[in-house]
Amino acid sequence: MDADAAATSIWAKPFARIPLARRQQILTLLVAAAAIAFPLVHDNDADIDSAANAAAYATLALGLNIVVGFAGLLDLGYAAFFAIGAYAYGILTSFQVMPHWGPFWEPFAWLELVQRMPQPGGDVVHFTVSFWIMLPVSALIAAGFGVLFGAPTLRLRGDYLAIVTLGFGEIVPIVVRNVDSVTNGAAGLNGIQAPMIYGHSFGVNAWPYYYVAIALVALLIFVSVRLRDSRIGRAWMAIREDETAAAAMGVDRTRTKLLAFATGAAFAGATGTFYVAKLQTATPEMFGFPVSVMILVMVVFGGMGSVWGVVVGAVSLQLLQSWFLEDISGWIHALGRAVHMPWMEQIDLTQSIELIFGLILVFMMLYRRDGLIPATRKQSALTYEQQHADVRRGGFSVLTGLGEVAGRAHAGLEVKGVTVRFGGLVALNAIDLTVPAGGVLAVIGPNGSGKSTLFNAITGLTPADGGAIRFDGKDILGLPPHQILRRGIARTFQNIRLFTNLSVLDNILIGQHARLKTGPIAAVFRPPFTRREEAAAREWATEIMTLFGNRLLPRATQTVSHLSYANRRRVEIARALGSRPKLLLLDEPTAGMNPAETLELAEQIKSLHALGLTILLIEHKLDVVTRLADTVVVLDHGEKIAEGTPDAVRNNEAVLQAYLGRGTLAEGLVHA
Amino acid sequence: MALSDLLLQQTINGLSLGAMYALLALGFTLVYGILELINFSHFNVFMVGSFIGLWTLQLMGINGQAVVMTGLPLIGVMMTALVVTMVLSGGLGVLIERLSLRPLRDVKGPAPMITTIGVSYVLFNIVLLTVGADSKNYPNPLPPVQFAIGDAVLRLREILIWVIAVLLMLGLHLFVQRSRMGKAMRATAQDPEAARMMGVEVDRVIVIAFFLGSALAGAGGLIFGLYYNFTSFIIGFNAGLRAFTAAVLGGIGNVPGAMLGGVIIGLIEAMGAQFIASAWTDVIIFSILVLVLVFRPAGLLGRVAPNKS
Repeated sequence: MDADAAATSIWAKPFARIPLARRQQILTLLVAAAAIAFPLVHDNDADIDSAANAAAYATLALGLNIVVGFAGLLDLGYAAFFAIGAYAYGILTSFQVMPHWGPFWEPFAWLELVQRMPQPGGDVVHFTVSFWIMLPVSALIAAGFGVLFGAPTLRLRGDYLAIVTLGFGEIVPIVVRNVDSVTNGAAGLNGIQAPMIYGHSFGVNAWPYYYVAIALVALLIFVSVRLRDSRIGRAWMAIREDETAAAAMGVDRTRTKLLAFATGAAFAGATGTFYVAKLQTATPEMFGFPVSVMILVMVVFGGMGSVWGVVVGAVSLQLLQSWFLEDISGWIHALGRAVHMPWMEQIDLTQSIELIFGLILVFMMLYRRDGLIPATRKQSALTYEQQHADVRRGGFSVLTGLGEVAGRAHAGLEVKGVTVRFGGLVALNAIDLTVPAGGVLAVIGPNGSGKSTLFNAITGLTPADGGAIRFDGKDILGLPPHQILRRGIARTFQNIRLFTNLSVLDNILIGQHARLKTGPIAAVFRPPFTRREEAAAREWATEIMTLFGNRLLPRATQTVSHLSYANRRRVEIARALGSRPKLLLLDEPTAGMNPAETLELAEQIKSLHALGLTILLIEHKLDVVTRLADTVVVLDHGEKIAEGTPDAVRNNEAVLQAYLGRGTLAEGLVHA
Repeated sequence: MALSDLLLQQTINGLSLGAMYALLALGFTLVYGILELINFSHFNVFMVGSFIGLWTLQLMGINGQAVVMTGLPLIGVMMTALVVTMVLSGGLGVLIERLSLRPLRDVKGPAPMITTIGVSYVLFNIVLLTVGADSKNYPNPLPPVQFAIGDAVLRLREILIWVIAVLLMLGLHLFVQRSRMGKAMRATAQDPEAARMMGVEVDRVIVIAFFLGSALAGAGGLIFGLYYNFTSFIIGFNAGLRAFTAAVLGGIGNVPGAMLGGVIIGLIEAMGAQFIASAWTDVIIFSILVLVLVFRPAGLLGRVAPNKS
């Protein structure tokens, strides 16, 4: 890694004074200029055609990258959406489907979507929908199928999803093959109309297709980047990193996944239309499993989640296939002749492109899982000086936004007779407890007594088998986790569930997901409203970080996986605060912290309480409990065995027995 | 043919297909039960296994359907072919685990699954490039003995297939339930961490699972050749998907479930081909896969597993 860093610094030295963002802009412009100039300087139709194909695959890779790279959903049947877009255009511009002419078609003819064709047996309809209309329409149709395929299956675990998408990827070409009347079956559609512009057909020239393709790539790069850097993209990545935590932070899992699926499908649909418009033919074989795998290889090769990476991956592999493999084979033959190795002259690499794809998959996974251009750049840790500069511990500034929400009057949390069973095991048995607004209630009990299960039941992660949970006077039992968060209940997890590969800032921003409104369209167009919202969200995140002094603030852009254990606990609390909760559930917040850190965090929790936040706390350290809680509830084997002030509970006989054992020996020890 | 005879004939066909799918499904289930990994390389271990069987039979001088054997020589030849195919296929599975999956043991996310897709693709293309794209006539030394039941026909090859499949499944069942290694396997499937702490060599358990699964896939490949009289580089994909569906249907990770699922899928395929249309077979089977996963993800015999995460 040091050698790496040294190498980059030599390269980067002359440019170091230019800011990173500016350097990226310049690079983008250079790439765009080269792409535009290519057909002008290299007047070879076959090569321009290959380049147009490469660009089409780049758009497919960009679409799959949204599904696999951003949202972490392994889709092995992605080519199905490519097929749907292709056939949508093919059917609506060829001579395959020709219903009888009737008055119904008059308005469509007037809109130039269909033509009336005279036929001996009565006039028929010829569909002539324009390529430029079909490009977005195919995207919409494919997105619709994305929702249709996704809706029943996206609840499945990731690996099952892979196999189901593989199934869909197979079903679509089979259906295409079997419904001859619409698709002309295995023989495929022919005579598909070429795009027209101002009455001129693209015909058989390669260059107009090439320019459409690179425009499409540019558009989809733009859309990908805008989505990635928005509330939507963050939600996708949250799902990828930890689905349960994402739900607990207010991300609607099903909708978010469906959106990723539909967006990816839309990219493929538009590309399908482009691709058959260029070929003017479509057969089921063009969209089988090998195509899905090829696109996956491109994404993996370039770097899952990396927008520029997948473009480079797609273009380089496609050009390898169409430009270089023949040359390389030729070189091997020449070498074979030179060294008199006849077997080398037999090698034909163009036949083995799929073998190469397979090897790329295996070797990338084994040796470079982040791909050629990783989505996240490596960061160096803070230097000793940075870590120790301006030591402020337990510092706390007024969180205006939080005080406003948390301090607002509400009716508190009421848990009544909640029971949770796992098979025969009763994890919680008819638990009652009340957290009044503005109160701090601590739940203690030996390991396995049901404390975390109680938290899971309150936050909707574990379904309860009976009882009622009311927050602010309204029933929340049975609501999905993201809606419970929306009501103002946020939590942390005992075994820290952060979005490990995202930055501290992103984690806190995801915490705000439910409080932000930006949708996918606003994310792409970024109207002033969205800009303001995003700026305010970042400001709020910064404000939360200041609560922890200089623990988090200097590390805002660091990846969470690089943080110390105690800092991760702090980030988790900060993330929960991001959602502007009224009630905060803390599951062993000081676990694994040393006494000084514990004390510091206890002070910080106290200051949150002072702002008006209601707190429900699981804690083993009794000094923390005594310091913070008004009331303590003790659980043992899923039963509530005591409730009262910390002092009363500390001396309760049943509690001592629960902690120290029920035997006479233990009792003897207690009294001794 | 009367409807009852048709039904009987398709039951015979379906049970033979089902026996093959069950053997293949067991490999998915063994590996999934322990690693929670869908092993796509299994698809083409099956295909390679079918070629190993072909070459073994050819080495013993049996080409096409011309050589017919009976009695002890027949049993000897079939046993040899079965054992060689299973051992070499099992070895291939171990090799795959060793080279491509063990380094990724602790990697979270889709990386191991993507690796198995890559391995599957490599096997597929190596066979395609070395053996060729045309399908190969499969050697079959069985005498053309057949029994007529009404209009339905039961051939010797079907009986042989059932015997092989039942013996192998019985053996696997006894191994998993009775042997020390089987117990270690079940323990690892429950909780690898705890099993390791109790002294189970988890790496060895995984190797054994891959060996057994791949050996059974090899046996399935041999059965494919004997049943259809051909093999080809392309057979892994459809058979693999059907077998995976069988494993899911029975309850993935569940050994008797895989057998049951295999038989059901085999029967559905045979009946579907007879009464609907073979062009729609895959659509029917995938629809079953989706429906099972959506409505009963634990499968017919599986328990709803607690979320391990």
